[in-house]
Amino acid sequence: MNRLLVWYGELSTTRKLTARGLALLAIPLTWSLVLLVAPLGAMIAWSLATRGADGEILWILTADNFSRLAGFDSFGWTKAYLSILGSTVAMATVTTAFTILLAYPLSFFIALRPPRRRYLWLTLVMIPFCTNLVIRTYAWMLLLGNQMPPARLAQFLHLIEPAAALYPSPFALYLGMVSNSIPFAVLPLYTNVERLDWAIVEAGRDLYSGPVRVFFHAILPQTLPGLVTALILTFIPAMGAFVIPDLLGGGKSWMLGNLIQHQFGVSRDFPFGAAVSLVLTLLTLVGLLFLRRSGEESFTP
Amino acid sequence: MKRRLHPALSAVAVATLAFLYLPLLAVAALSFNSSRFGTAWQGFTLRWYLQLSRNGVVLSAAANTLILALVSTAVSTVLGTALAIALDRFPWPRWMRRAVDAVVYVPVVTPDIVFAVGMLLAFETARRFLGGLHLGMGTMMMAHVTFQISFVALTVGSRLATIGRSVEEAARDLYASSFYAMRRVTFPLLAPGVVAGAMLAFTLSLDDFVISFFTSGPSSVTLPLYIYGSLRRGITPEIHALSTVVFLATVALVFLAQLFSRSPKEE
Amino acid sequence: MRKILPLLLASVLLASCSKPAKEAAAPAAGKAAGRVTVYMYSEYIDPALVERFQKETGLAVVLDTYENTETMMSKLASAGDQYDVVVVSDHAVRTLSAKGAFRPLDLPKIPNAKNVMPRFRAPAYDPEGRWSLPYQWGTMGLVYRKDKLPGFVPTWSAVLDPSKQPGPVVLVDSMRDLMAAALISRGFSPNTKSADELKSAGELLSSARTRRMTGFYGSPDSVAKVVGGDAWVGIAYNGDALSRLDENTDFAAPKEGTIIWVDAMTVPAKAPNPEGAFRFINFILAPDVGAQLSNYIAYATPNEASLPLIKADVRADPRVYPSDAELAKMVMLEDVREATTLYDQVWTRVKAGE
Repeated sequence: MNRLLVWYGELSTTRKLTARGLALLAIPLTWSLVLLVAPLGAMIAWSLATRGADGEILWILTADNFSRLAGFDSFGWTKAYLSILGSTVAMATVTTAFTILLAYPLSFFIALRPPRRRYLWLTLVMIPFCTNLVIRTYAWMLLLGNQMPPARLAQFLHLIEPAAALYPSPFALYLGMVSNSIPFAVLPLYTNVERLDWAIVEAGRDLYSGPVRVFFHAILPQTLPGLVTALILTFIPAMGAFVIPDLLGGGKSWMLGNLIQHQFGVSRDFPFGAAVSLVLTLLTLVGLLFLRRSGEESFTP
Repeated sequence: MKRRLHPALSAVAVATLAFLYLPLLAVAALSFNSSRFGTAWQGFTLRWYLQLSRNGVVLSAAANTLILALVSTAVSTVLGTALAIALDRFPWPRWMRRAVDAVVYVPVVTPDIVFAVGMLLAFETARRFLGGLHLGMGTMMMAHVTFQISFVALTVGSRLATIGRSVEEAARDLYASSFYAMRRVTFPLLAPGVVAGAMLAFTLSLDDFVISFFTSGPSSVTLPLYIYGSLRRGITPEIHALSTVVFLATVALVFLAQLFSRSPKEE
Repeated sequence: MRKILPLLLASVLLASCSKPAKEAAAPAAGKAAGRVTVYMYSEYIDPALVERFQKETGLAVVLDTYENTETMMSKLASAGDQYDVVVVSDHAVRTLSAKGAFRPLDLPKIPNAKNVMPRFRAPAYDPEGRWSLPYQWGTMGLVYRKDKLPGFVPTWSAVLDPSKQPGPVVLVDSMRDLMAAALISRGFSPNTKSADELKSAGELLSSARTRRMTGFYGSPDSVAKVVGGDAWVGIAYNGDALSRLDENTDFAAPKEGTIIWVDAMTVPAKAPNPEGAFRFINFILAPDVGAQLSNYIAYATPNEASLPLIKADVRADPRVYPSDAELAKMVMLEDVREATTLYDQVWTRVKAGE
């Protein structure tokens, strides 16, 4: 139906506008669709295939990869795969908790700076995130080495063995994961905190007894959209992490990311790797839907 | 009305920020250490920086990284801006808006590794059935552009939402053609958003490791891949020097970007 | 703000200028004539040798590196026509040659092939010597602290048996190598395809995950941990260990036996510059080059003619050149083909902490 309308102050028809719009939309949308649908399709297809004797792919369709992921491999049932999943979820949850805990004070701090200075602070937050992941991770490895001040302090306080380093360890792992996630959490939270209606907070202070209740009743609801975005941007990448668990965690306990990486490197089992990736994608979608239900519709602040 | 943060929370905030920088500063400090193994301080030297400047492999990896980032940013900024404008400035039915929104959202929320694996498999499939499409700079660029488009589109889109319709409508009321209105009214207002999107895309490309790891080929070693390889074989202080240089370059770039994207009419 | 558009335009132009240059750099027939692309482990060649080859032949050398065999195999499968010389592990040679991944070596063009030690001339992994010529060889063993463990008897149990771990230990983060250690320790072949034997090895490895076992590391990191004092025993390759030992640490091959590995030079079937490849291989096999190589990277040379030029103390060192008795207990790894999945499943169980 070709309606006449006024759009952005211009008199035109829906058909003309649609044509113009599609012209602009065509290339980027096609690119995105092709390069998002094709990989997903490839993942699904490959996850049903079989690994050949020499690591090549055989198009014998089977659900073996998925049953292996549920624990049923050639040796019987093992809880290995489920425990990998469990460790990953646990690690992602702890990371997210600590990240949010530290992101809130930092967002408030920046929001309370004089307006002209806020850009500076935000830039400071962004800079480490702009440095490469590998560099940041190995910087932690270096800082936590056995001859450096932090380790020496821990040795002195008898928290660790003499001459021991602070990595690899769960402590090092979480330091790495949290420092990696903070910028992603601070930025969305900050956009909400900046536009906070302080009148409500003041009213809350008048009405409620303590700062904790003020937080939960006056601040948290207002920052909810930003918080949800921060949760999404922290939890989901953490689920797929493999570099930090590998380098700082000591490779002692595998995460989903390590399992996936192994299939594409050492064991040349692309089909199984595709299956695990697919499951991780599904988990991501589930988590996403769950979080979006309780938050705002769109990402744009 | 006093708005202040409890001093303890302020301290936590500043400490958090410091904690983000501590490791990088440690690396910078050690890059001047004359000891080759271990971290005990043995004296100041610029030797590692000199060695670095003569290391052909590193320099070509750095060049690859930069070229990858520049090209993919250029392409994705154009495409992402077009996407954002098209989505916001035209009357689409609601279902279409939500569908495109979802498509744009996907790279933002998928874990890097899933995205990387998907890309790898797509390229592999294309290679087997169509021939060509070997892993290399080309495939890395395609992968980078794909996720960058989303981030650019989201940044520009949010800026468009902020600008609103009134200014453009006013221009049209004053008999400006839509093209003229776009050029003289919308684009200048949009520019900071586009630059912010481009900067975001650029830094995401420089920061990326996982996607490059899975989609790179032999002649396309980038800095992060080179460093990761060295980590496995044993770190030399040359790597410390390299990391410090990258860090300082990043600082410079980010500040430059802020200078460019801050229009005097802002705030 | 007006400055933005010219800036963006400039960067697009700059980018489009460099893109064709990059594409042109990708190998194409004829254009690769002046260049040899070599793919090997990182830090596996003396840069001075690369320089020397470039000077002597006028060919440019592009050196690409990998960290483990499997990465190499994946890259070879998807980008095999971009490399001229690939240094490949022994078991991979057999797999890949069966798949036709290599070009037969044009031996008349590699006169220095006659320098290779008899033992490596027709090895099990390449019986006719058609596809490969050896580059370096070495063994895997235990690096340990002499000060903490005087009178240490090298045995795999020191790291794998929970009742025998003397202190903090580290294991090697390599599926085939660590499984080999466990299999040998249990008295099986490191190339077995038997599910029961693999299961047994897996159980041994899982039991090794005590509080004293502090992690899985690559070979160089293993050595660093022991030398640095974080661990008392670790698993490592002899070359990595020997180049980093100090007066408190030492390396030894376990008495039950261990694996011996050979890295060999091959030429992919679709190499862009096979002539250049042969010249490079010939260069490496020259007596003085072979000696310089081994003296630099501390592994053993397969080059008979280079032996006299190896430093005398290294030549006599049983850790680099084991005695014949020890060599008899050393096994080369082979590709286990379809059984790889079994190894992989066991490895996953071990790594997941089951």
